[in-house]
Amino acid sequence: MSPRAFFLSGFLALLLFDTFAQVCFKLTAIHAAPLTFDWPWLLRALTTPWVYCSIFGYLGAFVTWMTLLRHIPVGPAFAASHLEVIGVMVVSVPLFGEVLSGVQYLGAALILGGVFFLARDETSEAAKEKP
Amino acid sequence: MTNATLIFLLWAVNLVTDTCGQLAFKKAAIENTKARGWAHWRHMLGRPWIYLGALAYVAEFIAWLAFLSTVPLAVGVLLGMAGIVAVMLGGRLWFGERFTRGRLAGVSLILAGVALVGAGG
Repeated sequence: MSPRAFFLSGFLALLLFDTFAQVCFKLTAIHAAPLTFDWPWLLRALTTPWVYCSIFGYLGAFVTWMTLLRHIPVGPAFAASHLEVIGVMVVSVPLFGEVLSGVQYLGAALILGGVFFLARDETSEAAKEKP
Repeated sequence: MTNATLIFLLWAVNLVTDTCGQLAFKKAAIENTKARGWAHWRHMLGRPWIYLGALAYVAEFIAWLAFLSTVPLAVGVLLGMAGIVAVMLGGRLWFGERFTRGRLAGVSLILAGVALVGAGG
């Protein structure tokens, strides 16, 4: 596999695992409703299959993340580890009928811009540290 | 308690538990780094930080479950991005990590974005 293909498929895998984990977590929360902050509530959450799907997603994301970190600078990897925001925004429309307001989309754009700045900064800092 | 207050409280608990967890694991990882492999793990297991980190993550699991019960998923994940800022702030206070210009710009954008998502519902 070319480095470029490895890079892209790594990012995509991370995005998919993270999005999957969050979607399953939301399904767990829905399944556990109503939110009563007691043992029965927690038990309802822990007895739905969704919570274990979510843990599987987190584990997959973790393994992907550690594999990516071995091969690419921490900056892009850091950005990639937060790209699930995009995945979640896309799939929550058809899955949960969620609609964000215009102001909220603007906020999401700012957050992604911030992540981009941090990722770029990490890359240049890491380059400086190399002898 | 109004719904908005509950959402804000749950968001704050998530932020605190996430940050405590990350900082505790960082502290565990950087203590006695001369030890390698198994010796490093034995050292980490003999210190409180790794357990504190795990405890914080368990608390965060419950807090995140409660938080997602009160807000749409996309909104929850977007508001959760404030954790990046909290961890960087903690890293500066506890480990003396630097705030470069690029990091300040990134942190400011994320905070502004989180405020817009929170207010614009």
